[in-house]
Amino acid sequence: MRWLLLVAGLLVATVAQAQVDPDPRLIQAADEVALAYVVTGEGDVDSASEAGLRGLSQVLTDRTTVEPGEPIGIDLNRDDLSLLTFLYWPVTETQAPPTPQAYVRLNHFLRSGGMILFDTRDGDIAGLGGPEGAGVLRQLAAPLDIPPLAPIPVDHVLTRSFYLLHDFPGRYQGREVWAEAPPAGAEAAEGVPFRNLNDGVSPVIIGGNSWSEAWAIGENGLPIYSVGSGLDGERQREMAYRFGINLIMYVLTGNYKSDQVHVPALLDRLRREEVMQ
Amino acid sequence: MTGLSFDPLLPWPLIISAAILALLVTVWSLWRGLRGWPLRGLAGLAAAAALAGPALESGIRNKLSDIVVLLDDRSASQSLPGRAAQTDAALDDLTRQIGALPDTEIRRVTVTDDSDGTLIGSALTRALAAEPQTRVAGVVLLTDGQSHDPAMLPSGAPAPVHVLLTGEQTDWDRRLVIEEAPAYGLIDQPVIIRLRIEDQGAVPAEIAQSPARLRILVDGEETRTLDLPPGVPLDLPVVPQHAGQNVISIGFDAPQTSTPELTDRNNSAAIQITGVRDRLRVLLVSGEPHAGERTWRNLLKSDANVDLIHFTILRPPDKMDAVPVDEMSLIAFPTQELFLDRIRDFDLIIFDRYRVRGILMPQYFDNIRRYVEEGGAVLVSAGPEMSTVESLNLSPLGSILPGRPTGRIYEQPFLPELTDEGQRHPVTAGLPGAPVEGQEKHWGRWLRMSQVIPDPNAQVVMTGAEDQPLLIMNRVGKGRVAMLNSDQVWLWGRGFEGGGPQLELLRRIAHWSMKEPELEEEALLADVAGDLSVTITRRTMAAEAKPIRITRPDGETETVNLAQTGPGRFSERWTPPGPGLYRMTDGEITRVMALGPSAPREFEETVASGDKLGPLAQATQGAVLRLSDGIPAVRTVREGRPAHGQGVSRDWIAITPRHATSTSGVTHRPLLPGWAWLLLVAGLALTGWLAEGRGWKLRRA
Repeated sequence: MRWLLLVAGLLVATVAQAQVDPDPRLIQAADEVALAYVVTGEGDVDSASEAGLRGLSQVLTDRTTVEPGEPIGIDLNRDDLSLLTFLYWPVTETQAPPTPQAYVRLNHFLRSGGMILFDTRDGDIAGLGGPEGAGVLRQLAAPLDIPPLAPIPVDHVLTRSFYLLHDFPGRYQGREVWAEAPPAGAEAAEGVPFRNLNDGVSPVIIGGNSWSEAWAIGENGLPIYSVGSGLDGERQREMAYRFGINLIMYVLTGNYKSDQVHVPALLDRLRREEVMQ
Repeated sequence: MTGLSFDPLLPWPLIISAAILALLVTVWSLWRGLRGWPLRGLAGLAAAAALAGPALESGIRNKLSDIVVLLDDRSASQSLPGRAAQTDAALDDLTRQIGALPDTEIRRVTVTDDSDGTLIGSALTRALAAEPQTRVAGVVLLTDGQSHDPAMLPSGAPAPVHVLLTGEQTDWDRRLVIEEAPAYGLIDQPVIIRLRIEDQGAVPAEIAQSPARLRILVDGEETRTLDLPPGVPLDLPVVPQHAGQNVISIGFDAPQTSTPELTDRNNSAAIQITGVRDRLRVLLVSGEPHAGERTWRNLLKSDANVDLIHFTILRPPDKMDAVPVDEMSLIAFPTQELFLDRIRDFDLIIFDRYRVRGILMPQYFDNIRRYVEEGGAVLVSAGPEMSTVESLNLSPLGSILPGRPTGRIYEQPFLPELTDEGQRHPVTAGLPGAPVEGQEKHWGRWLRMSQVIPDPNAQVVMTGAEDQPLLIMNRVGKGRVAMLNSDQVWLWGRGFEGGGPQLELLRRIAHWSMKEPELEEEALLADVAGDLSVTITRRTMAAEAKPIRITRPDGETETVNLAQTGPGRFSERWTPPGPGLYRMTDGEITRVMALGPSAPREFEETVASGDKLGPLAQATQGAVLRLSDGIPAVRTVREGRPAHGQGVSRDWIAITPRHATSTSGVTHRPLLPGWAWLLLVAGLALTGWLAEGRGWKLRRA
């Protein structure tokens, strides 16, 4: 009997051994909700992404209960995405499209609750006829299972998941940001100032405001890129951070803030039932 | 047999008109003084008669025997003491008497139990329909008169219907009548059962109006007794205690009197009320937004039966920024309302990676502990904070947690596995994709967990890294606590290394905490199939299941041995001998099972009575007699005469011979052929004409 158990134990041990342990960086990401970015191969873009996510992580740690670890760069062709929650994807003209296997992983990531923020980083020049990121983005995102998109409506939960926001500025502002379109026929419940949209979380957010550059801080803790000018610029940077915080809260808590409007009603009902009894 | 019949060539009115016309002509002729008036009249009448087509019919007539329908009721209520013998004796005697009558046949009909009771009406209607109406000379019913299909009774019969009632004059019965009982009820909300005690028959004076002592048992356990006088309706509030079948049995003992009541089978009733949960209220408290939080939300929000109240600590008290409040979308955590005032309204409180950081005051945790001990439920999904100084274990809640953290955190991939207890525990048993020895395919791994020392009374159903407890479940007081020592169940949802059944696992943990009967570790289940066979299943955490002792409605017991069908599952098929209230026990769990109607319909009313069949007997001039007064003599009377009466020695009932016949070999011959009619009419007319004509006058002249 004892040797049988031993053999069984060995078998289990070999099975366990046969499994490749995941990348320690990814384990870290799963444990600490680390923010991740797609490595594009363009040095300055990648360093801006890393600095940006580090800046956002710093602000989150300072102001909220979310305390992300070090941001990590993701090689889409190699890394397992299932340990991640949030992926920042700057769109550059030179980056090579991921392999089909990577797209399979990306689609699974989107389906199982992950979110990608696509940043075309062209908020300053878009619409002026210059080279635009939109074309490249369309090419990159074509194989992804993305639901119909629409500009984020004013009653989207992103506008109130932590701060109250009206705009989602980055280094640039004024551009529309897109998310999953609200389902047709969604109506505001009585007494609620907004519609209950997106019961799930939009799998993608798309914009061109170059958020990572607005969030980026250097080793010394100071911003790396200038945003706007003077006090207005600093205000815009603050708003960019607030967008970042709202975005991460949205990724992690889903429609929690939408539901909270029902809490007083639920508590009211409990009170009423007590009176009735 | 010979007779005259008519076969008219024209419709009768025309023929009659022709005859009247002939008479008018005759009268006119007489008035005018015509000599041939009688001949004219005869000719007209002969023509009318010819049109009527008179014919001679002849044939042979045979006398037919009379039929007496003799119906005996052999339903369960007729099995009460003495009644079967009474019926047998009456049946023999009547068969002999009727058989002695000339030209009389007997048609025997026997009514037995039907699921709807005693269906005398249908049986009688069917029997009468099968016989020629003109031959039925009498119907005799041997019954206690308790027919359950009065609507099917024929309104009349071609012959007298006699009802001979079994039973004694002194018969009496006290019974329980359930007037109204709901089939469903919300748990912990009273439902009303309306009932009364009814006395029937010749109630002995010593017991009349004296109350019956009702015993009320919920799931086989006596809850209360009360005295209820007969005839007074009672609204009895009953509280379904748990989801699923609540069996309420109500009954009283047979009164002690010199003449015992007919039966005690209608002294009790079993009512099944299916307990239904009101909406479940779950309070989810997330200590921080993290990757697994949406897993909880997805689970609880997809359940339409759950009202979720969710709070996430988005900003701890020790972190501030300079942003004005009106630019923030944060609301205060109504801790006092939730954890002091309203806590009993929740069915489950989930602490999801909650760290003690001064938001909840110690007395709140103390209150939560009390809430659990009084029957509440807490589920802790612990992250690494469990091993820190901000651990829930260090709060007053720690005393009821099923594990004590050691402070060590395993940061390594590990495979969650079921323990032996976990194989048997309904929360984890049969989770799809569970690791099986020697099989390569298994769940995905998790990456971090805290080490805890489990409470000795708690059940460790899953283990993780280095076989350390991962999922621990325990009962505290009347409540339950479950603890998951890792926050990484969401990796299963993400499909990491293939993932796992995260929603199913979390759902079961949450519902086990809320005492869902399907997830009880120790359960005795009885599934009743359509053919009334019962599958008895015992779910247990023990290695063996004891035999089940079953107590039948009549008090006899039998023992059923269960065979193992899976880890912690033992079952056996068993066929109960009949409907009624069965009590199953293995010494630890007792279950009451009601099969069939709450009380058998046959025994609802047992005192013999002619109320239901009397109108039919009266309508046909038949009698309602008691067999206890003697078996009546059978006579014959003419139809329409009273068919019962008192003789010298005993009563008599009568059948009415119908003198029915059948006729065969009928021939049909016209009285005169057509040409003879023509000759007759023409001859009369001609003679009349001649008489009025000159010839007559000439001869006179």
